[in-house]
Amino acid sequence: MLLDFQWKLGMAVSSDSCRSLKYPYVAVMLKVADESGQVKKKSFEMTIPQFQNFYRQFKEIAAVIETV
Amino acid sequence: MAGDLESSKALSGLLSGLAQDAFHGHPGITEELLRSQLYPEVPPEEFRPFLAKMRGILKSIASADMDFNQLEAFLTAQTKKQGGITSDQAAVISKFWKSHKTKIRESLMNQSRWDSGLRGLSWRVDGKSQSRHSAQIHTPVAIVELEIGKSGQDQL
Repeated sequence: MLLDFQWKLGMAVSSDSCRSLKYPYVAVMLKVADESGQVKKKSFEMTIPQFQNFYRQFKEIAAVIETV
Repeated sequence: MAGDLESSKALSGLLSGLAQDAFHGHPGITEELLRSQLYPEVPPEEFRPFLAKMRGILKSIASADMDFNQLEAFLTAQTKKQGGITSDQAAVISKFWKSHKTKIRESLMNQSRWDSGLRGLSWRVDGKSQSRHSAQIHTPVAIVELEIGKSGQDQL
């Protein structure tokens, strides 16, 4: 069960392999509880195209849930 | 001798090989492989500094994510340097960067992603019915399965 959803829009500016990176990304932190009630935190990163797909899927879920 | 090092076709191949090694993480692209495949007439002690020079130039261009103006200026400066490159070589490098820039940038971005990525997403909507304790019947629930993991990087 989803307890919390936190997000962050970041911009990677520079790295050791690329001084001029200019790479925007979305970082997400999820707090979920399993059946036993144990709370776990999961974090992951998405590129902007990945995030757009993520967002599209959730928009679809929202639309379907309305019809149920 | 020097004529071989000036071959445009070979240089194009060399840049591809360097990119595969430095950016796309392709294993096994050694100096000897590149030399024997692309510059077989050139002795190793002559090839080595040439390779280092080209690798350095390619890395500088990628690191600065040069646009075409910056690229022109940079390559022109390289042709004017002592022990730099020829204008033919500059043209090959310029052409290479223009056609491979996007892919190289993508690889560099991937290299800087150390946290887990989203590998997959699937979902299902259930119309839940509860008949015993809860007065809530027919509460729809969305179940989302996220596949979170490191994308294609070596795990320690």
